Amino acid sequence: MLPSNRERIALIVCVVIVTFVTLFPVIWMIFAAIRPTAETLAFPPVWIPREITFQAFADLFANPGELKYFANSYIIALATAGLTILLAAPCAYGFSRFRIRGSTALLLGILALQMLPTVALILPFFSMARALGIYNTHLGLVLADTAFTLPIGIWLLKGFFDSIPSALEEAAMIDGGTRLQALLLIIVPLALPGIVSTGVFAFLWSWNEFLFALILTSGDGAAPLTIRMSQFFTQYGRDWNGIMALNVVASIPLVVFFVFIQRWVVSGLTGGAVK
Amino acid sequence: MVDRVETAAPTVRPLGQGGARWQIHDRHLGYIFIAPALIFMLAVVFLPVANTIATSFTQMNFRERVTEFVALENYGRLLGDRLFWLSLKNTMVFAIGSTIGHVVLGTLFAVLLSARWAPPRIRNIVRGLLILPWLFSLAAAALIWGLLYDPFGPLNYLLMVTGIAPDSFDFLGEPSNAMVSLIVINVWKFYPFYMVMILGGLQSIPEELYEAGRLDGANPLRLFWHITLPMLRPVLVAATTIDMITTFATFDLVKIMTNGGPQRATQTLSLYIYETGFRDVNLGYGAAMAMAMLVTLTVATALYIKLVVRRPSGGEGGNAAF
Repeated sequence: MLPSNRERIALIVCVVIVTFVTLFPVIWMIFAAIRPTAETLAFPPVWIPREITFQAFADLFANPGELKYFANSYIIALATAGLTILLAAPCAYGFSRFRIRGSTALLLGILALQMLPTVALILPFFSMARALGIYNTHLGLVLADTAFTLPIGIWLLKGFFDSIPSALEEAAMIDGGTRLQALLLIIVPLALPGIVSTGVFAFLWSWNEFLFALILTSGDGAAPLTIRMSQFFTQYGRDWNGIMALNVVASIPLVVFFVFIQRWVVSGLTGGAVK
Repeated sequence: MVDRVETAAPTVRPLGQGGARWQIHDRHLGYIFIAPALIFMLAVVFLPVANTIATSFTQMNFRERVTEFVALENYGRLLGDRLFWLSLKNTMVFAIGSTIGHVVLGTLFAVLLSARWAPPRIRNIVRGLLILPWLFSLAAAALIWGLLYDPFGPLNYLLMVTGIAPDSFDFLGEPSNAMVSLIVINVWKFYPFYMVMILGGLQSIPEELYEAGRLDGANPLRLFWHITLPMLRPVLVAATTIDMITTFATFDLVKIMTNGGPQRATQTLSLYIYETGFRDVNLGYGAAMAMAMLVTLTVATALYIKLVVRRPSGGEGGNAAF
């Protein structure tokens, strides 16, 4: 039933308020990034920026120390996405297409793993990374992050493979193709949206991860952006302009993947498969 | 979803002499496909968990530089550790407060988004905008809200001009405010996820139910109370369980914004585990605490999985598109 005009206006007013309140913190971050700290901290607040400057962005890109955090974040997140796809896709395909003893129990075990709190693993992760010589390296963080993106990746991709009829590859195999050919030429292209979604998910998880980065890095060797952000509160003299410029640039991948996320979030993957 | 594993096994066997070979091949192939991921998880998840269990029964003797087996001593110490119980209490307050916020706002906003106040395309855009906070890291959210909560920030100003706080409102420095301030951030950050999940549940409610209700003269409030809420029950139960489990282990916000303070008002379990292991270097006790947390969450997860498995297929979580 369509609402009456009066109801519609009331609903629209509610939607506008909800959207504004939700987005205000983000807007305030962008404002702080493009105006001097003095104006950001003016009291009473200056609601609309008066003095607009992009100096903080220029300073950020001219600072190799800051750029190192960006490089670290990109390396770790991209590698985590790659490793997650590489391990999750075959595994999901195996569960989707083959009779595997105890598969129900295994899949539920994997589902349970995503509920595992990261903090329960920090002590052994630290000693393992030290023992293997991968403390304060990108590799150490990639392995730790993948432990948590893999279960979700497997469940996500299994859903995608399940939705592709197995008759397709059977037909290809009857026509003389090998399973590998059927897999690479027919199934992978069809499952590509799922594979991309899994990669995007793993990238974002890793991009936003903080606790492992805290215990597995020291100094700026392999430390990602979340570490840089967390240090702000312990610094003297709070340069809100600079940190918010960094925060805005760090949010760019989030916005870029936004389109993917939109489709993927709403396509029913929220039914327990994703945290 | 789980049942499909059995039926998805290859049903067509190629004829002729190659048939037998294919069959044997296929039977093992499945295990070859799943092996790398399972071996990886064995090494990176199960081994560390086993290590944590083993460590929880030991105590480092610094004077003689040996690790001693102390059986259940660490666990016994937990029972009498007031800071542990305080951390547990704070963690529960944070988890319950966040979950109530997520589920209440998630439900209200999902209902708002599913009402037909605009064409679906516009409502899709609004939904997309509302998802935004969920994308940020908690570290980024901490920065954003650190500025909003600043004494010279906009929130303090609003509280002062509206007379809610006659003097400057100390969001994070005052023990009685700090926890609520952190919960507000967590609610803002994660409500979109639950909103989308509940939206999926709303879509699966048959329109006929509402039509029947309207014919009986029910107003929108009664429709919500007697049709929407009961029909959403499975989704709400799932959302609450996932939320309690994930917020129970929260660390980032607390570590970055308050570091457990002021006066331990925001000390949570995961922060206490971190401090015990990495500041006090008391690995045995830290491991025992991690195990206590793990067991609690395993029980909760087992309950959750029971709910997921029982759930009728195609119901909750279906298609949240309009």
